[in-house]
Amino acid sequence: MADLVWTSMADLGRMIATKEVSPVEVVRAHLERITALDARLRAYITVAADAALQAARAAEADLMAGKVAGPLHGVPWAPKDLYSTKGIRTTGGSKILADSVPTRDSTVVARLAGAGAIVLGKLNMHEFAYGPEGLNAHYGDARNPWDSSVHRATGGSSSGSGAAVAAGLAPGSLGSDTGGSIRIPCSLCGITGIKPTYGRVSRAGVLPLSWSMDHVGPMTRTARDSALMLGAIAGYDPSDPTTSVLPVPDYATALTGEVKGLRVGLLRAHFTDIAAPEVRAAVETAARQLEGAGAIVDDVNLTHVVHVGPASTAIIASEALAYHAAWMRTRSQDYQPDVRERLRVGAFISGAHYLRAQQLRGLVRSEIDAALARRDVLLAPATPIPAPALGERETMLGDGQSDVRSALIRLTRVFNFSGHPAGSAPCGFTASGLPIGLQLVGRPFDEATVLRVLDAYQRITDWHTRRPPVA
Amino acid sequence: MKRMAAAGGFAWTDAELEPIRPAVERLLDALERLESLPLEDLEPTTQYRVF
Repeated sequence: MADLVWTSMADLGRMIATKEVSPVEVVRAHLERITALDARLRAYITVAADAALQAARAAEADLMAGKVAGPLHGVPWAPKDLYSTKGIRTTGGSKILADSVPTRDSTVVARLAGAGAIVLGKLNMHEFAYGPEGLNAHYGDARNPWDSSVHRATGGSSSGSGAAVAAGLAPGSLGSDTGGSIRIPCSLCGITGIKPTYGRVSRAGVLPLSWSMDHVGPMTRTARDSALMLGAIAGYDPSDPTTSVLPVPDYATALTGEVKGLRVGLLRAHFTDIAAPEVRAAVETAARQLEGAGAIVDDVNLTHVVHVGPASTAIIASEALAYHAAWMRTRSQDYQPDVRERLRVGAFISGAHYLRAQQLRGLVRSEIDAALARRDVLLAPATPIPAPALGERETMLGDGQSDVRSALIRLTRVFNFSGHPAGSAPCGFTASGLPIGLQLVGRPFDEATVLRVLDAYQRITDWHTRRPPVA
Repeated sequence: MKRMAAAGGFAWTDAELEPIRPAVERLLDALERLESLPLEDLEPTTQYRVF
């Protein structure tokens, strides 16, 4: 039974479809593990045990009647607690929405339900998704399962997603990513995920942080599982006017394992070259491994990215305050302090500054498009540092001292700013046993190539198969 | 800062605003530096569009 919690979503789906295992057994195994470990990991805000078991019994009955919804039929998963879930409270990790119970599912939750997947519960997060550390004063800070002695950050804002998937408390999750909130916890917790192109996946029914920077995407233990989840949720949604009408490819079919002749640009200045030595070495080794598998690797530099920090802060702070303005006038004391302070900053950004920052997006996007015109993907670390201890405020990067928060988002927010798809997967461990994550960036709407390279990399390495000591 | 916040409808006190003053000043300084970039002919990319 214990192995079921370490089985991939793809294999669980296959085992359920062939009646090798019952959806009820699979859900029960995960619920038992949550009961055993979650008091320590604080990955879940709400566990929906009864609803999950009821859904598992229904999935089993359908199976016996010959009805299989698809490759995720009967497979459990858990969303970050900012996705509306009918009948299950959706807190956004906040006190303000502590008792908010939606009357309908968000589009992506409904699509996964239609594909037969089963919600185990709702996962912890930085309050209202506004922080890359994964801190939560209301429900407790999720704990990184890779260090059993020191309480280390999971990364955020999808903190519970990182902890739960890494520790076998859910085989997959949906995170959200405004400055790196999928890729940062993937990197710090040693799991795999992808932030799709802006417009590829509907955000309808997802609590916003920043409308023009928010992305929705899967967090899993393998690239194949991310491909399965993305395939189930991607595509046009009339409820989200930013979604694309472009057709959605079969991502699972795209996973050929082949990278021969594929052109990979290793992002040097401002990315790999400023990472901590162990992170830099692991990503350079990954580049050589891809080269060994037949990819053509060269170095590439982006120059305008140095301006992305203040510009993305101006956009996120303005849009976030616009969403939170009413509560900030009447309930500001109910926010945790760091989030309240970040929201207040938005009041001092002028319309001219906001639009100047939006202009810069065109410049940065053009530069990245130019780099991708001659390459299929770009490679960089996902985070320049491994998981920091909770409360650690300063860190040293290749170009000087940095506060931890800025360091965590530095390499990821560029691609929220530009909208390009970007995935992350584990590519090594530090000497002290902490995961290191790489980041792969693709052309707009070419998530298939990003996933193909991540999957090919996972066929020649075993970093993604390692299990954390807490688990 | 208090007057600017009030103009936006936020009744925040000096004591509440003082902790964010350094961050606001650093951000506004950095945003001023964007003026030196070649952005004249670029439309603001709000990304609200259907591809």
